[in-house]
Amino acid sequence: MNPVNTTLLILLLPLFSATVIALGLRRQGAWAAGLATAVAGAIAILSWQLIFSGQRNFPAAWEWLRLGDFVVSLGFKFDDLAALMLFVVSFVGFLIHIFSLGYMRADAARARFFGGLSIFMFSMLGIVLADNLFMIFIFWELVGFSSYLLIGHWHERTAAAEAAKKAFIVNRVGDFGFLLGIIMCYWSNGTVNLTALGAQHVPSTLIALLLFCGAAGKSAQLPLQVWLPDAMEGPTPVSALIHAATMVAAGIYLLCRINVLMVPDALTVIMWIGTLTALYAALCAVVQRDIKKVLAYSTLSQLGYMVAAFGLGSLTLRHEMGGVVHEMVVATGVGAAMFHLTTHAFFKALLFLGSGSVIHGCHHEQNIFKMGGLRAKMPLTFITFTLGVLAIIGMPGLAGFFSKDAILYLALEKNTAVFAVLVFTAVLTSFYMIRLWKLTFWGAARSDHAAQAHESGFTMTLPLVVLAVLSIIGGYAGFFSRLAGAVADLVPEATGAAHSTILLVSLGVMLTGASGAWLFYASAETDSLEGKFRLGFRGLTGLKESFDRLYTYYVAKVQQRLAMLLNFIEQIFLAGLLIRGLGGVVTLIGYGARSLYTGSLHTYVYWFLWGTALLWAFAVGIF
Amino acid sequence: MIVDLQHYLLLSAVLFVLGFFGVLLRKNTLVIYMCLELMLIAATIALVAFSHFNDTLDGNVFVFFILTIAAAEVAVGLAIVVALFRQRGTVQVEALNHLRH
Repeated sequence: MNPVNTTLLILLLPLFSATVIALGLRRQGAWAAGLATAVAGAIAILSWQLIFSGQRNFPAAWEWLRLGDFVVSLGFKFDDLAALMLFVVSFVGFLIHIFSLGYMRADAARARFFGGLSIFMFSMLGIVLADNLFMIFIFWELVGFSSYLLIGHWHERTAAAEAAKKAFIVNRVGDFGFLLGIIMCYWSNGTVNLTALGAQHVPSTLIALLLFCGAAGKSAQLPLQVWLPDAMEGPTPVSALIHAATMVAAGIYLLCRINVLMVPDALTVIMWIGTLTALYAALCAVVQRDIKKVLAYSTLSQLGYMVAAFGLGSLTLRHEMGGVVHEMVVATGVGAAMFHLTTHAFFKALLFLGSGSVIHGCHHEQNIFKMGGLRAKMPLTFITFTLGVLAIIGMPGLAGFFSKDAILYLALEKNTAVFAVLVFTAVLTSFYMIRLWKLTFWGAARSDHAAQAHESGFTMTLPLVVLAVLSIIGGYAGFFSRLAGAVADLVPEATGAAHSTILLVSLGVMLTGASGAWLFYASAETDSLEGKFRLGFRGLTGLKESFDRLYTYYVAKVQQRLAMLLNFIEQIFLAGLLIRGLGGVVTLIGYGARSLYTGSLHTYVYWFLWGTALLWAFAVGIF
Repeated sequence: MIVDLQHYLLLSAVLFVLGFFGVLLRKNTLVIYMCLELMLIAATIALVAFSHFNDTLDGNVFVFFILTIAAAEVAVGLAIVVALFRQRGTVQVEALNHLRH
């Protein structure tokens, strides 16, 4: 099949499935689940075929809308970057569909859930394949919509409904900047096509930062990170698919897509925002009780890592070849960010699905202090989850080790301050992950739910195993280079002294954090940190809530007052003067005119008399 | 005494004013109706006088039209007055103000 048709099929299949489910399969949950999963499987097969057919950058663009000189076209840009992202989205997506078959088996609104997953796959694939910023924006909004739909899946629960609303509104803030960025980009460059922009564009810090606004919203970077932890109200497969592996990574992907538009000033801002997000989220993760919240903050932190990696930017590499020194600039930021994005998608989806399996096994208990001792009861979940934990904390030989080292090496080369913060964040990462792991799986069961836990079914453990394998092999050159092509060449590799430094640092970091958490946390029903360092614990909890408090304050005091002021003005001027005033004047005239109609014939005759007199006066020329 | 145009016009004006004040001041619809006819007659007298003193037929032609229309009008008008009386039992104008509300 020719590549354009394959791509088109990949994009439209999930839309088809979503439409069929919405129109005809609302009450047939089993059929809807089957259809959505089958479509996800077909996408995975077609993507595999497309990625390994080696066809890249085939022309595919259609004019969609023409307004004078302004043309909006729809098209595909399928390069190595898109191929890599397509792999992540289609395969992780497919595995999560399979997991959902088991996890959502008893859900009443199963059809709506799978329809939501399909519409999400459609929108996400649209972002991956789009060849211009307008098209990305359209699918960007669709992704936001499907995220809203799926976070609010259990909309009977107030918390879920509000989390969905919050995610949507916070994303709107970022998207507003994104839209402004696209408009400015079109205004100054005359095009929003990615290939055309790559060939020629006017460098501008403002445009780069405005476009980053969109990425910051979707990838939940400071200060728009507040929605992601709340989004965990959605079903766990949704958290795995949307809020860990794919949608939140779309921000990173967008940054890599518009890498050509980046300028040093903008990169510095992006780098610091990413670094601070990584640190902030890691600090928050330490005091969470909910298993999914820990993972959510961990996701935030890793996204911060990726954004920081992107912000660190390019490296100048020296090659000596036959006595001649070649210098070349390599966009290592893109390479490192995409590498970590890929490995993170594998192990974070694994961790989320593992937590889903745990939650399912423990009859929807999410508090890690009420778990414990699940090691023996859920062996397969335990083994795969352990692999995920080891991957994220950077155990040598697993995927996370390679990608995290690439970022740390890049930071070491470019900016020592960022390096220090990222290293500290890595310590925290292994600290909170081991805390989570120990409290969940070791010790004795601390509640009835945990005591009666059972291993999940085949559809739920199979994706865990596959993702665990991917979390192991995902970092090796043999796997990643074949998948990512030219993007893999951009991944910075430490050589010589730097190599040993990085290796030692990351090993030290991992061991410090992990052993600290292992020794510190007792398998108890209360948080050891709260017991021993009350002040520190409260500080961290306060840090977590500070943004929400600030925004609540802002909304309640500033925005609400502004809204009330505007409402007042509206009441006085628009509704009062313009609408009621005009109406009032007309009514008054009406009253006046009505009083002329007395019903008395004689009055009319007098009026007639005066009218005649007036006409006569006009005719004679008195007036 | 030579009767010339001024006398005719004076007669016409007096008749017209009588008719007009009749319309203004009388309460009975039938009387108001008769006063209206009086005003029409006043106009016809003036027109006939003009026609006579100018030696043209224009005024007379007008008069024919006015008489024709007045005859038709009287037929319709009297019919209305009769119908009104049957319906309401009165033809006094103070009582006939239902369109006001």
